[in-house]
Amino acid sequence: MNDKFDVIVIGAGNAGLISALELVKSGKKVLILEKENVPGGFATSFIRGRFEFESSLNTLCEYGSKESPGEIYKLFEKLDLLDKLDFTTITDAFHVYSIDENVNYKMPFGILEFMEKMEEYVPESRNAMKKFFVLAEEAKEALTYLASQKTNVDADYLKRNFPDFLKVSTHTVDKVLDALKMPKRAQEILTTYWIYFGSPTSKLSFVHFATMMFSYITKGIQIPYKKSTEISFLLANEIEKNGGKIKYLSPVKEILFKDKKIAGVMLVDGRIFESSHIIANLSPTFVYGKMIPNFLVPKNALKLTNSRILGARGFAIYLGLNQSVEDLGLYEYSYFIHENLNSNKEYQNRSTLKNCSSVVYVNNNAIPSCSPKGTTVVTFFSLFMGDVFSKNVTEKNYFDMKSKIATRMIEAFERTTGIVITPYIEEIEIATPITFARYGGHPDGVIYGYKATGMDNLIPRLLSLEEENYIPNLRFCGGFDALLSGYSSAYLSGEMVAKLTLKDEEGEE
Amino acid sequence: MELDLKGLGKKDMLALKNVKNERRKIIHDSSADPIFTQFLANEIASNLHPTIQYVKVAEILEAGKSAKTFVLIPDIDSGTKKLAYFRPGQYVCIQIQIEDGIYKRPYTISCSPKKAMDNKYTLTIKRRNQGIVSNYFIEKVKVGDTFSISGPKGNFYYEPIRDAKNIIAIAGGSGITPFISMAEAVMDGILDLHLTILYGARTKEDFLFFHRFEEMKKKSKRIQVEYILSEEDDENFISGFITKELIEKYMHKENSYFLCGPLSLYEKMNVLFKELNIPNKYIRYDSFFGRIDLNRNEEYNLTVLTGGKKITILCNTKETLLSSMEKNGILAPSQCHVGKCGFCRSKLKSGKVKMFDDALLEAEKGKKYIHPCATFPESDVVIELPF
Repeated sequence: MNDKFDVIVIGAGNAGLISALELVKSGKKVLILEKENVPGGFATSFIRGRFEFESSLNTLCEYGSKESPGEIYKLFEKLDLLDKLDFTTITDAFHVYSIDENVNYKMPFGILEFMEKMEEYVPESRNAMKKFFVLAEEAKEALTYLASQKTNVDADYLKRNFPDFLKVSTHTVDKVLDALKMPKRAQEILTTYWIYFGSPTSKLSFVHFATMMFSYITKGIQIPYKKSTEISFLLANEIEKNGGKIKYLSPVKEILFKDKKIAGVMLVDGRIFESSHIIANLSPTFVYGKMIPNFLVPKNALKLTNSRILGARGFAIYLGLNQSVEDLGLYEYSYFIHENLNSNKEYQNRSTLKNCSSVVYVNNNAIPSCSPKGTTVVTFFSLFMGDVFSKNVTEKNYFDMKSKIATRMIEAFERTTGIVITPYIEEIEIATPITFARYGGHPDGVIYGYKATGMDNLIPRLLSLEEENYIPNLRFCGGFDALLSGYSSAYLSGEMVAKLTLKDEEGEE
Repeated sequence: MELDLKGLGKKDMLALKNVKNERRKIIHDSSADPIFTQFLANEIASNLHPTIQYVKVAEILEAGKSAKTFVLIPDIDSGTKKLAYFRPGQYVCIQIQIEDGIYKRPYTISCSPKKAMDNKYTLTIKRRNQGIVSNYFIEKVKVGDTFSISGPKGNFYYEPIRDAKNIIAIAGGSGITPFISMAEAVMDGILDLHLTILYGARTKEDFLFFHRFEEMKKKSKRIQVEYILSEEDDENFISGFITKELIEKYMHKENSYFLCGPLSLYEKMNVLFKELNIPNKYIRYDSFFGRIDLNRNEEYNLTVLTGGKKITILCNTKETLLSSMEKNGILAPSQCHVGKCGFCRSKLKSGKVKMFDDALLEAEKGKKYIHPCATFPESDVVIELPF
């Protein structure tokens, strides 16, 4: 029999792929089971007419460059992937618009440039902004230490090296920015990226936000020329080249146990693969709730899962336009169209079906060759908070409802920026929470895992990681896990889970 | 350097120590009930996009010369309780066993989506000369037979954000099926548009749904149908081919053109569209034609690696790798059968092939990925299926 493996990875998402590659490179016999016919999960692309659309990667942070490598650069270097990938860099950080106030702010990369511009928009913000970046840098170093230690945190070491981090480590973004006496408007502009976390600044961990923001502003944003599929397919090929196996169109139905220990998986089509180690690149909600018989799920795993709140649901519009960026006057890479710049108010707006906010990416302004000459690819991303979308949708009204919401978002963009795109739409695809529920297989169409709030923020998750490993040899990775969602988080999560799995294996010997 | 953080101090420095305890407390106080998994979005997703639907033939209707309409209902005994809603113009992929072969074929749903709400689909199948599946359906399939189909697939449908409200549909032969569905949806108030169908066929007998279209024309000003005969003369019909003038007759200010038919139709229409200066945006294609080179006739070995097994069969240069796998009963993934949807994506391990690669993703190109439904052998070939 050829179907016994050291480790089985369920789901070929970003984290699953990295974990498998780490493990095959450590000499393990690994099988990835993926329900779709391509690797990558949401890191994929699709074709409509003469356009190929990137489905989700518009900002890869923590990559950086050879001169200033970020965590992802170092990870890819270690995995020997660098010379097989081709990245381009985005020049401006973001351009945010408020629909309510009819104002907009365009922010650059680089700490000095960022502070300078902010001072221009919000006089007397410089001092607080400077402190923010100092604090963010310290938080980043402290977090790296915590992530490397997890359970064995040395309190004295933390106190000596990261005193300010300790003061803010459990607080929300709002609380710390207020303590820094940052003017409100500067806070609102600075926290534009809150939507990448899906949690408003009154709930979001300061450390999580500040460390990511620090990477964005200091390292910039990179994306691969051939879209996220370039990375997904490369990872898949490297896994296979190193002896790993990937089976597509192979959804897992059940995790199998023998004497209450992990023994393997059974697929929907009845095939069985054996392994005593499983890495799940999917939600604990469905793993504990559907893939394991309830009597085998430890009580605390049920309790933990029941205590969590599902995060933001995704909504995306992919447009192929039959005009060039110059013809259309689309000069920015990203337009953040917020009804309100205050994230807490905006969170409420996005909890209703009237939500017309979105982030609009002009893909050609990063990769001019991403569509045929004289055309432009524009992608809208929005979030619905809570179950407002799924509560209101039926099979019959679904197609109308998604067209109506998309129309409203496109119109809001046009009204706010004064740029007209509707008459030039040659191809359009709309993805909704229904699409993400189906394609990602995630509960209720969430794209950011569990909501980052209170004790389910980054630091509590990270510190509790080991004690919440409720079923020995079953590990999780990806957006639902300790590092939360996002491309860079997912890659790092894959690296982390591979290490933990190797440790689990050593423990057995 | 220590920062002056207003209101934050010593107390907060201890907070990190308590994080684990606080989280433990929340977990402790939470319910140990079974985890809720019946999310609405997932339920609607699986209703709208089922991976498989088991169906039963409820009725068979004559639909014109060598064509039949099959009315399908859920095969409850096999576990399908209801049929998925769809957009007019979408297809389902039939899977059926005929002798030793396992075949999949895409067929456009030919009824209104309203029928799906009543748990009915109709598929109208016309006999094709060499068509194993179409011949089987016309000759052998009877009421009560069961088989499986995919969920609704394909992107050939009216999209209100992109398309004009005046649709000029151009159909060749059995390419009429998406348009009867659209017309029925207009009649049912599901689609809000004007639909003119320019319907070309060889002879009068080849027109499908003639009476139904005449009925719709009488009932609604939103539906118009013109018949064009290419190999027969009849004073009641236009003879020859679709002309610029004919199209201009039905043009409004803004028009979208939907095409479905044989390759020759697309080629001829492309010339007309160029003359009329119509941008790509307004032209939608449903491709269901294969691009087979009938001049060649060589046979090669095709070795298929699947599920740890290695199976070698013969494959002719006239047939796709997929179709020779089907004949030999090898279950391979497939959906659109024209190299467009990418569902059959497999790996070429060795050998030379000829592939229509317009559906390969940028990152896949040059990496030995193939779509067996649009790939022909040029030597002995080894491929690996995705599962």
